[in-house]
Amino acid sequence: MFYRIPEINYFRASTLEEALELISKLESVKVLAGGSDLLIDLKIRRYEVKNVVDISGVKELSYIEDRGDHVAIGAATKLRALERSDLIKELFPALHEAVESMAGVQIRNMGTIGGNLCNASPAADTAPPLLVLNAKLRLVSLEGEREVPITGFFLGPRKTLLRKGELLKEIVVPYERGAGASFIKLGRRNAFTLSVVAVATLVKVRNGIFDDVRVALNSVAPKPVRAVSVEKFLKSREISMNAIEEGAKRVLQDISPISDVRASADYRKEMSVVLTKESLLRSLERAGVKL
Amino acid sequence: MVLIEDPYTLISKWLHAKEFLVVGRGVARADALDKALGTAKFVEDYFQEGMLFVKQVLSTEPHAKILRIRDEEALKIPKVVKVFTAKDIPGENQVGYALPDQPLIAEGKVRYHGELVALVAAEDIDAALRAAELVKVDYDPLPYVLDPLEALERKDVLVHEEVGSNIAFRTKVRKGNVEEGFSKADVIVENEYRTHHQDHVYLETEGALAIPGLDGRLTVVTAAQYPHLAQSIIARVLGVPASNIKVVVPFMGGGFGGKDDEGPLTAAKAALVAHLTGRPAFILYTREESLRMHPKREATIIKYKSGASKDGKLTAIDVKIIHDTGAYANRGPFILWRATVHASGPYEVPHARVEGYCVYTNKVYQGSFRGFGNPSVQFAAEMQMNELARKLGMDPVEFRLKNMLRPGSRTITNQLLEESVGIAEAVEKLAKKVNWAKKRAEYESFKGRYRRGIGIGVAWHGISTSRGVPDWSNAYVKIDKDGSVTMFTGIVEMGQGSPNSSHRQIVAEILGAPLEKVKVVFGTSDAPDAGATHASRGTSIGAIGVLVAAARVRERLNKLAAELLGCKPEDVEIKNGVVRAKGTDKELSWDELIKQAYARGVDLSATGYFFLPKGKFNDELGQGQAYPAFSYVAMIAEVEVDTWTGKVRVLRIWPALAAGRIINPQQVEGQIEGAAVQGMGYVLMEQFVFDNRGRILNADLTDYVVPTTLDIPEIEKPVYVEDLFKYGPFGAKGVGEMALIPAPAAIAGAVSHALGKPITKLPLTPEVVYFELKKGSST
Repeated sequence: MFYRIPEINYFRASTLEEALELISKLESVKVLAGGSDLLIDLKIRRYEVKNVVDISGVKELSYIEDRGDHVAIGAATKLRALERSDLIKELFPALHEAVESMAGVQIRNMGTIGGNLCNASPAADTAPPLLVLNAKLRLVSLEGEREVPITGFFLGPRKTLLRKGELLKEIVVPYERGAGASFIKLGRRNAFTLSVVAVATLVKVRNGIFDDVRVALNSVAPKPVRAVSVEKFLKSREISMNAIEEGAKRVLQDISPISDVRASADYRKEMSVVLTKESLLRSLERAGVKL
Repeated sequence: MVLIEDPYTLISKWLHAKEFLVVGRGVARADALDKALGTAKFVEDYFQEGMLFVKQVLSTEPHAKILRIRDEEALKIPKVVKVFTAKDIPGENQVGYALPDQPLIAEGKVRYHGELVALVAAEDIDAALRAAELVKVDYDPLPYVLDPLEALERKDVLVHEEVGSNIAFRTKVRKGNVEEGFSKADVIVENEYRTHHQDHVYLETEGALAIPGLDGRLTVVTAAQYPHLAQSIIARVLGVPASNIKVVVPFMGGGFGGKDDEGPLTAAKAALVAHLTGRPAFILYTREESLRMHPKREATIIKYKSGASKDGKLTAIDVKIIHDTGAYANRGPFILWRATVHASGPYEVPHARVEGYCVYTNKVYQGSFRGFGNPSVQFAAEMQMNELARKLGMDPVEFRLKNMLRPGSRTITNQLLEESVGIAEAVEKLAKKVNWAKKRAEYESFKGRYRRGIGIGVAWHGISTSRGVPDWSNAYVKIDKDGSVTMFTGIVEMGQGSPNSSHRQIVAEILGAPLEKVKVVFGTSDAPDAGATHASRGTSIGAIGVLVAAARVRERLNKLAAELLGCKPEDVEIKNGVVRAKGTDKELSWDELIKQAYARGVDLSATGYFFLPKGKFNDELGQGQAYPAFSYVAMIAEVEVDTWTGKVRVLRIWPALAAGRIINPQQVEGQIEGAAVQGMGYVLMEQFVFDNRGRILNADLTDYVVPTTLDIPEIEKPVYVEDLFKYGPFGAKGVGEMALIPAPAAIAGAVSHALGKPITKLPLTPEVVYFELKKGSST
């Protein structure tokens, strides 16, 4: 098909070091990991950039490693690889469900987890599960590395903490033993759909009370968000349907949805409450509590 | 003996055939392997380097005078050849199908956001794309109107000044005395229905490749549903005789009516550039262009009042249909006619008043789409039937059957239906197969988060063009010396399979030639004009000519074989390449028979022209013969509604057809499944969002969502009632559009059943269903 993508200089890095050198040296640059978002964004002129650095061939950025108390995921790991990983499915079902819900097989063979995060779409589907998992992001530049919690990574639509010359290298996901977690996405069809609202929750339970509760959503704020009001309300509270329903309603304090071609703000608000409740129930069930 | 040449006799002879060789079987289509291997070629595959690439410049205003088109900057781009505007058109800049209201390239003013303003031709794609962005159009904005009800009232804002109002066209049907009918009604239901636009989203977007000078003519390879129409439109735009134009339609990636409208225009754009430059020119729409500019399914407002007596008989209907036709009438008047005369649904109604308005607005225009004005009006009619049944305390199927058209019934235009009306039997069989009454009762007891519902849609669809509009069929059949058979038709192959399955079967059946010896050449204006591949006519009206041509040759073969075998011509049997005198062991091979025909001067070529006889229709009175026959369809759908989110899942669809002879059941199932899914997408998820300037905000496949394979329900094997049509090939009436027509009624009916409340508006997105439920629970 014939679309005009503004002329760019294309660089293909084969090592991480090469990639870092290129992105620190070049002005007006975007990183291409899978291209499933970036190429469309260039076509619709979301970005006017001069240079693109392709890191899809950087093998050292593609891995899923069990490191005893956490799993490390290379930023350029394909979504399809996460989907097919038993380790991810077993340890982080919410992340697995999120990846499975994204696009279609062909796109998941192209798209990467790092790309999904760094693109910083308010609708990024890997964000809610990683937010409730308290994942950490290892950012690297020629100057060195730093580790930041994902909860502070998103600054707004298409804006992240990444500095000039910095690249997301690795996602560190800590084990959450005994927790129950889930991800539920409401889209407009069963595949190839941006979320209208998606919710991830994680609960830990002790003696019939919420020992820990984490809730995150996408598509209802300028960036994927944690629903801290819900979390605060439920934490240390006795588990009951009433508590869950009351807690879920508090999600409205944490979100600020807009109306667009996909849904109205009102519907997104209502669905945030509904899906928060549903996801909490599912997470509780996975933690061994059935209401 | 005298050879039979008369088409009526030949059609009738084969209609009453007792046994069949290949007709009625799921014979694999001739193009199956090429499609599976990816070797089948589509328009785009014929593009070669060195051809000019054509890019469109589209309007960014809903309604504005064009003051100036500035191309200086565009022409500075290296490799740009020229920018073409309306003034460059050598012939007539007029492409309106039903009314002469539409230019190929906007002239004087633009009437919708997305209208074609200029064409840019360049030596390569990148230059064309860049130059198209640099063509600047100075507009003087005009006031615009987007809402059809507002457009009906406004006299100060006119989409077409010369019309004097925004009403492009009116239709009417009158039968009996509506007031009297309502006075006899014990229950009356009155509602306003709204249905929305739909895009075809064919896999292949619009494209054309025009090559000047090939065999002395301008040859245009294009994706159009009627090569002869494309040929005549190109000829008109270029101001040359049609005989100087050849149109070839290779394999097409879906049409659904969209390429019936836009196909010839696409072809004319490439042809214009090729004609003016003397060079091959290629155009291919991007998906975004396709979504923005090509005609959509009609958006409607339907005001419907109907009454029935206590014993469950309809007494009267009073219907007002408003079609938002957008910037141009296109085929809107024909679409409105179809909606108007089908407004009753397939039921007997003694008193009827139907009025139709085709209204201009400053939006993308309305056009042909599978069902052609019928799905929306059948939706309204069927929702009315559900409500009447509810008020009467009757089962919806039982109520329908009490009123259903049967042989001997008269329609709302007072047309007598003598035969070929199998819908009542189809509905009875379907309801029994589904276990309708039991399921319906069972689902009403569903409580809690997930509710279930079951709904039925029954519909009719006139065969051929409406009223007295001429319709015909033709084809050319020849047998070569080696016994191979070629059939030439203007019917196209757009995935539906008629040339590659049913036409081939018809030829093989009638000649008795082995199927593998029959080749079909389709989609070319060099073949006899068989009419368009639309209106479900590829295998019905479009194939009558195939039958007649083949049957004429067969008569000659019978005569020859009788001489050779020493028997009567009527005792000649030809089966799978063996020619035999019935009841004897005297035989010869097909190849030998053909050799003898060449040796003895028997003409083995024939055309099969057939002009469909039509009755009279009086437009003033709204009475008369609307169509030569009707195809009928019923569909039952089962849904599950998630009351927490409003999400509707279609669980299962059961179709039934009374469409005459089923020539290839495998192809028919494919058509039914595709149409059912397209209908489901229309009801549940597809919709255009317009901004306050009439611009489509979701003109891309990110946000115009259609069903994926993961959304598709179980679709059961169809129930067939073969209610033969006397002029159809072997009695076939047509299938292509059928399953889409009752889909909105069946699915919305099922949702309505699950929710326990009437539905009057589409689409039923989760958001709509959720708030509908919420509205109910607060009152």
